[in-house]
Amino acid sequence: MPVVPAKIRLAGPNHTVHVDWSDGHASVYEYPYLRSRCPCATCQDSEPEPGQAAGALPVLKKALKPERAEIVGRYAVQIYWNDGHNSGIYSYEYLRRLCPCPECTAEARAAGMDGRQE
Amino acid sequence: MSERITPQDVLRALGALRDAERQQDIVALGMVKDVEVGDNRVSLTLQVPNPQAAATERWVRAARQVIQQLGVAEVQVGVAPLAASGPNPQAALIPQVKYTIAVASGKGGVGKSTVAANLAVALALAGNKVGLMDADVYGPSIPTLMGGRQEPRVVEGKIEPPVEFGVKMISMGYFLPKNDAVIWRGPMLHKTVRQFLGDVRWGELDFLMMDLPPGTGDIQLSLCQTVALTGAVIVSTPQDLALNVASKAIGMFQKLNVPILGLVENMSYYVCPGCGRRDDIFGHGGARQAAEKLGFPFLGEIPLDVQIRAESDGGRPVAVDRTTACGRAFHDVAAKMVAEVRARSGEVKPEILIE
Repeated sequence: MPVVPAKIRLAGPNHTVHVDWSDGHASVYEYPYLRSRCPCATCQDSEPEPGQAAGALPVLKKALKPERAEIVGRYAVQIYWNDGHNSGIYSYEYLRRLCPCPECTAEARAAGMDGRQE
Repeated sequence: MSERITPQDVLRALGALRDAERQQDIVALGMVKDVEVGDNRVSLTLQVPNPQAAATERWVRAARQVIQQLGVAEVQVGVAPLAASGPNPQAALIPQVKYTIAVASGKGGVGKSTVAANLAVALALAGNKVGLMDADVYGPSIPTLMGGRQEPRVVEGKIEPPVEFGVKMISMGYFLPKNDAVIWRGPMLHKTVRQFLGDVRWGELDFLMMDLPPGTGDIQLSLCQTVALTGAVIVSTPQDLALNVASKAIGMFQKLNVPILGLVENMSYYVCPGCGRRDDIFGHGGARQAAEKLGFPFLGEIPLDVQIRAESDGGRPVAVDRTTACGRAFHDVAAKMVAEVRARSGEVKPEILIE
């Protein structure tokens, strides 16, 4: 049985998305972290820090946050950001790989493939 | 105004307003909130997916009207966006369908549509409410296989699917002149899949069987993204070539988290009607071995039989008669598939919280 999110909380404390997984693991993602790893084709093509496009005066920009999210079939979640970007379909597998907690980071490093840089 | 109106009266009146898209009244959809009844006045809130949409304005007007018809002078209708953890909009496309099952294959010509049609008929004969969606937009064959005696009709902006052998059906074949081809790119295919789901009056169904085109293309991906499929049935002929390609289809479903309900071996063997001698034309047992190797259930084998071919071309699926060997084979596969579906109920469905 593949690991899937049981609960996705878009408005966690300190600008984070919280995911409770079906295997009991919990992941916390900061908004800019998640957005900069948007898997959509446009963001994947842009350089060097995809998705952030902060511009010269980032203070004038509205704080980035997800407005809503939709489940895609059985395998992914699509995040609708407040700046209108919504083409990123985060597969559960990818989302789990992005988990920034120390154990997952160590595991990814041990496996020799740092999924975070995708 | 003589009698006092209760909130129940208000809800009953609002129950007459139906959301054509979701095929339910607005009370059943949970759109009506905070009903308050005062002296000759009623106030309530309508929860809508998009407060800015033109449809919202229509809902408010209609709600006000039906309540005024109860004899209430002052009606206040507020609008609120749908609750944060509301139902997934995807689920709302076919809210009354219990199980959605894709019938797929790697390569074409393995009899996927024949298997889909006969499974649908077998499920219907077993007492289920069944729909059959022909997602093979390029090569629709369901109307031929199922007789195609009726045509879909458009009623109140929705497609009323024809019913054959107790199965509601939709197919691109109904909308094309014979011998006309569909030459479309992805976005059109995606739209068609959505329409086949949301614009067809499927009503309440136990099973919606979906006959996919061969391969791992746009339609498969669209379908897997639009519906949280219960599972997929993979059809293959026994020879290595077909099985190798079938494993590609399996790989796609696994990537998209769609459970594989099992493999069906079609054209499994041939029994000569003259002498009764059995020939394994494409080999035999290949799909069973592949299922065992990959760890998926094997749902059964369907013989290569001229009766299946003849009756399929004649628009009468063999599963209609379960006393024949071929008919029984499909009923056995259907029963195994249902058992697999039941074994998978109670899976985790992700919940999204916005606040």
